[in-house]
Parts: sequence; structure tokens; C-alpha cells
Amino acid sequence: MKSWFKFNYASALPFLALAMPASTSSLAADESKLFTEAYRDVPMPLEFRVEATPEGPVFADANGKTIYSWPQHKLRNGYSGEAKGSPACYDEVLTVTAGLMSPYPAGIKLPEIDSRLSCTDLWPPVLAEANAEEIGKWTVIERRDATLQWAYDEQPLYLSVRDQQPGDVQGGSRRRYGGDSPAMRVPVGPPSLLPPGFAIKSTSIGRMLTSDKNESVYSFEGDTATSSACESKCLANWRPVVAPALARDQGEWSLFERSPGVLQWAFRGKPLYTHLRDQSSWSLEGSDSSGWHNVFTQDAPSYPESFTQQASLAGNVLADANGKTIYRYNCGEDTADQLACDHPNDTQVYRLAMCGAGDAQKCLQHWPYLIAKDDEVSSNRTWRIVLIDPLTGRFAAPDQEGAIRVWSYRDRPVTTFGGDKQPGDVNGGGTGEWRGQRNGLKAFWLRDDYMNGIL
Amino acid sequence: MNTLQRLVSNLLVASALISGGVHADQSVLRNRAIAYVMTDLFWSVYQTPGAIQECPQGFNDGPREQFEQLFPYHQALTVEETQLRQEIETWHPTTDSDGFEFFQVEGGISWGVNLDGEVGLNDFVHPDGTPGIDNELYRAVGCIIGFRGPDGVEYIFQNKAIADERYNRMMIELTEVDDLENDDSVTVSVYRGLDRLLTDATGSKIVPGGTQRVDTRWGQKLIRKIDAKIVNSKLITEPIPDLIIPWQNLNVPSIQLIRDARFVLDLTAQGATGLLAGYADVDTWYYQLIRNDSTHHLSNGQISGISLYKALRRLADAHPSLDTGENTAISTALDIKMTQVFISHSPSQNAE
Repeated sequence: MKSWFKFNYASALPFLALAMPASTSSLAADESKLFTEAYRDVPMPLEFRVEATPEGPVFADANGKTIYSWPQHKLRNGYSGEAKGSPACYDEVLTVTAGLMSPYPAGIKLPEIDSRLSCTDLWPPVLAEANAEEIGKWTVIERRDATLQWAYDEQPLYLSVRDQQPGDVQGGSRRRYGGDSPAMRVPVGPPSLLPPGFAIKSTSIGRMLTSDKNESVYSFEGDTATSSACESKCLANWRPVVAPALARDQGEWSLFERSPGVLQWAFRGKPLYTHLRDQSSWSLEGSDSSGWHNVFTQDAPSYPESFTQQASLAGNVLADANGKTIYRYNCGEDTADQLACDHPNDTQVYRLAMCGAGDAQKCLQHWPYLIAKDDEVSSNRTWRIVLIDPLTGRFAAPDQEGAIRVWSYRDRPVTTFGGDKQPGDVNGGGTGEWRGQRNGLKAFWLRDDYMNGIL
Repeated sequence: MNTLQRLVSNLLVASALISGGVHADQSVLRNRAIAYVMTDLFWSVYQTPGAIQECPQGFNDGPREQFEQLFPYHQALTVEETQLRQEIETWHPTTDSDGFEFFQVEGGISWGVNLDGEVGLNDFVHPDGTPGIDNELYRAVGCIIGFRGPDGVEYIFQNKAIADERYNRMMIELTEVDDLENDDSVTVSVYRGLDRLLTDATGSKIVPGGTQRVDTRWGQKLIRKIDAKIVNSKLITEPIPDLIIPWQNLNVPSIQLIRDARFVLDLTAQGATGLLAGYADVDTWYYQLIRNDSTHHLSNGQISGISLYKALRRLADAHPSLDTGENTAISTALDIKMTQVFISHSPSQNAE
């Protein structure tokens, strides 16, 4: 470890260029968007590097492509993913369901067998040369075909064919996923640079700083790096995050003595607190108090300027210009390799079944794509305008007749729901298999006051 | 006051609280008001031992059983021909026959309320002998295991969610109360609360005396105000045209829409118990069920969404569509339990 703190500007720059919102003035207005997350410098083979992404710092190959692992995940009827040191993603094209979920049994023939891809078609392993030298947590494991594969912390490593540019994380996410979600692929990276007692959670609005007990961490506008305006009555609602007596300033993290012998942590020049009235983990409730803000190591890439936020019965959702809630389609197959089926390049059989009973026209009626206006341009690599063939759901060529320009999130087109009538309606949320987690649709939440940290 | 005097005093207060009625001058009424927070809510299902009376043909099959009957050789078939076919039928339901016989309640007794003021041939009789009970939802779900207490999957999940999830924190507040035993004019307000329920030291028993703030932000559209009366400690409200009940379990926030909803609750100083009755909007009811459960949890309760939707549409008995003339709502009653709570109307609970 070269230093306790290192803010990797070199890695951040490509991301900043990619994440530039449509209007640069909005970027200048909010300096926090310029930050990317610092990480602990760990020993690594020379052929790899660290790349800044919307999911925080990740390991990348020599071309800057994000590296993923596939951690083992308990499903309803067994496990999928990979145990440490045991690659399970190979070039075999699977033909039947695995029965890992419920209630449908194993052994049903998978759709579009003739054009179906294997696990390694979509997730090429990060192969190691015969003379590769292990270093730190980077080790080399042997696959069953005798090729060598890099592993980090013993988890075999892969690239995603969905990623096209450095900083892309179209293949997976660090966001929390539950037992009923597919066994996800997760970006792998160096540890975030945090003092003990803190943690970071990937959310739809950014990388949220929390305590290691999942309490949200806040800052107050009236504070400075060396003084706190929160005293006496204020302390009935806000608890300073205190540091051990031997703690020292490090990079973006500093300390000040708020009272004799009591050190309080500050991040980027703002003292940190938890909110005693928060009622759930990863809460945003404290930010309702004037001058108080949740703390993020980096914000999520800006959503398009034409989008709006709407209040629902359960919190804020992302909505289109007319206030209609925006939904994301999620899909993971019930197969041993848990391949996703939510991308325009994947089979559309599942999506068409759910959105329109197999009828593309009904899909367009029930779950219309969010059409980009003629004068709109892609905001960043996360929110991108793509061309879609509405009758197949697949990407369209630029000159293809009937193609439509639609907004996509990480290259998956987003939709609204025909059953929503008023701003804030989320009547489509949870539609589909496993409450929208495996073949269905979920609302795009920006604030969750009632779902225990679903962001 | 010595220890003995304090003990006697406490016993007298406790005795007063435990007794049924409470007068306005007693401490639980503050400024002529009392409030209750919901702790239990579930579709009212009249059950006899072994279900012999109401379900003589037995219980309905669920998705697993129907799948086995439809696709005994599923290995020869594709996902589209099996799994997705069933999911399409679930998420895009129709009234066409699915080929399965649906067992609806055959007994003549049901909990509920006479919603339309009439005594029809198809109406149930209340266990106390009152005729004209409207509860066609019971006819639809009464022979489905998942809707029956005490261990049906819906029954368990919903009551657990109410205790655990603030999203479901429904409250009523009675104001302008002169007498909690008899008062011919009180006002009932319906709110959602913001706070966790007060429990005893075990964390599982909800106790009276907690405090709830009113959710005027996310829950503004849930607020209702209605006239009511209290007769022999029973609260009877006027119908609410469109009561929205926040209804979430398994992290899918959804609602139930009850038209012409009314509360009929036995009141005490500690709580309120009784019925919430009205006409459930059929589509809202159905999609709440399948969005919160999806096919897996439906299977655990032997609930075929496909078959049940057809029954709901067939048995719907109110609010005909202006376009098709078909009824869009179904009579129902919910068993409801509430615990006394103090409501804080302070405008800014978070003021620093």
C-alpha cells in the first residue's frame, strides 16, 4: 500500500468526460459532481488498471474495460454463481431451465436455442499468461480446459461484452440485490478509501456514504472543516460521528476537536453526523431538514434534463416530462449460468411475454418506450439515446425504417406504464416474475422512505 | 402517596381502561379526540372446522398443481409453451375459461355488512343472523388456502407487513367526541402514520399509548374525513367514496381501492376491532395481489391468479363500467384491529 489515501485524478478524467451532462452549466453549478471516489492503492499486475465508473473505482483490463466477478448467490432451490476458486462460466450453450427458482420445474427447453449464446460468449474470462505472476489478492486459477484465469480475492474474473468504453458498467452493478434476484455479476475494484466505521452503498442517486451499521451520514451547510454549528438543541437530533483519539487527517478525511478530547470526522471539509430520527437504513429523511444533506462520494450520472422527479406514496420516482413514472425492465433466466435477458441484444421472448402477452403492439400500448425528443442528446454513458426497432425490441440500424429514438439506462430502454394515470402513480411496479426482479418491471426510485434501502 | 395507595390507584386506572366504554372526561380522550393505529387487516373469511360447510368440494389448486396438470411432460416443451404461457395468463388475465373448475364458497354464512341496504337471494347471512350480507370477495377467495387463517400465506404476510412496514401505517382519529359509548355525531379522519408501532419489551406485542405523526407528505392523498356515530361503543361511519389503503408486503408498494368504504368498529380505550367494508376495485385488488406475491408466493398459498381473476370478474357486484356495463367492484369486508395511539399534529416534527 503506497498511501492511505489516493485520489486518482488520472482515472477520474475519462469518467468525467463521459459523465458530462447535456448542459455543462449544471455541472459547474454543483461542484460535487466533479468528485469521484478515492480508493486504496492495492498491488496489482501491470496489465490492469483502476477505472472510475458510476459504480465507483473498478479494476479494468488494458483497454479500460470493467472487470467483474460472479459471486455465489443462494436462490430458492439451490445456488448459482461461483464459489471462490471455482470457475463455473464456460462455453457450453445451455438448453434447459435449471429449476433454481419457483414454481416452475427444471428441464424446460430454453427459447431460441439455435441462436443462444454461452456464458463465455457474454462473459469472456480474464485469461492469464502462463508466466503470469500472482500479486497481492490477484491470483491465477486453472479452468477445466486448462486455460489460466485471473482471480481477485479468489473470485474468477470476467469482462462483459455489453461494455464498450472505459468506465462502462453495463454488465453489472454493486447495488444490493436480494435472494430472488438472479446471481448478478458485480464490478470488482480496490477497496474504497474510508476510515474504519464507514461504508459506501451504491444507489440510483450515487455512492452513498454511511456508517458500517448502514446509518446514513449527513453534513450541515453551516459547518466548516474546523467548526460545528450543531450544538445544544441540535444535538437532540444529530449525532456527531466521532473518531478515535489516535485518528489522523488523511486526504479528503479530516478531524477537528468539537469539544475537549472529542474528535469528529469531516469529509471534504464538512463534519459528519448521523440523524437520530432516521427510521430505516440508508435513509434520506435527514436531508429534509434545512441545510442538511446526505453525503455521497460521487453522484450518479445526471439523468436527462427533460426528466422530472415525482412524489409517490412510497417516495420519489424518476418520471418523464409529463410526470409519468419511469420503469426499468429486469430479466434473468432460470438457468445454471443465470444469463441476463434484459438487453436489446438478448432474446426478447421474456420481455414480450410480460409487457404484451407476446404481442409487440400490446407492449407499445402497455409499456411505451420513452421517446427522446428530436433536440435531445445523450446525457452520458448511463443515460443514452438508442435506436430501437419497436416491433422486435432490438437495436435498430441508423437508417432502419420505423426505428425510434428512445432513452435507455445502461443501454436498456426505459418505459412508462399505461396504467399510471397521475404523476406519482407506480401502478406498474413489481409487474412480472419475482416482483419484477427476474422478468418484469420496477419503478426507477430516487428516494425510498418505505422500502428499507431499495435504491 | 405510599406504595399501597399507588398500587390501588394504578389498579383502578387499569380497571377503567380495561372496561368497555370510556367517557369524555377520562384521560384517553384528549380535547375530545381519540385515535387508533391499525395492527391487523385481512380479508374477512368465515371458516368452519375442516371447511366442510363453506368448501364441501375442497380447496382450489394453485399454480404448481395446475402446471403439473397442464404440462405433465414439460421436458418436451419450451419456456414459451409452459412458464411464459402461464405468466401471460397471470399478467394479462381474461374471463375466458382456463379449463379448471373453480371452487367458490357454497355456504350461506359470512362476515360482512349489508352494503346496499337490500336483502338479495345471493346475499349471505351474518353469523348473528343478520340477512343481506354483501361479501362476494369471500365467495371468491374462501376456498383458497392462502386466504384462510391462521397460516395462509396472504394472512401471514399481510399482518407481518402491517407490523413491520410503515408504508401500511393506517390510522383513524375520532374528533368531536363527547362520549365514547354513545355519540350521534363524531368526525373520523383517516391518515397514514409515520412512525414505528409501540411494542412491549418483547418487540412483538403492540401496546396502546404510542405516538404517531401524520404523514402529510407522501400520504397526503390518503387523508379522508367522514361523519360517524357511536352506538353502544360501536363506531359506524358514513361511506367513504374512495378509500385508498396503502398495502405493501415484500417491498412492492401498492394500494387497495375500496369504494363506499365504511368502518364498523367496537371501541375501547385501548383499541378498536371490527370491520372495514365496501366494494373493492377488482383490477386494483388483483394487481395488488400478483405484484406483491408473483407466482412463487401465490403458489405457496395455492392461489391461481389465473383462475381467481375470472371468479372476481364473475362475482363482481357493483360499480358497473360506463363503457361495458360490467361490474368493476366486488363487495368485501376486512377484519381490522387497531390499537389506541396519540397523534401528533405538530407541523414540523423534524425542526432542528
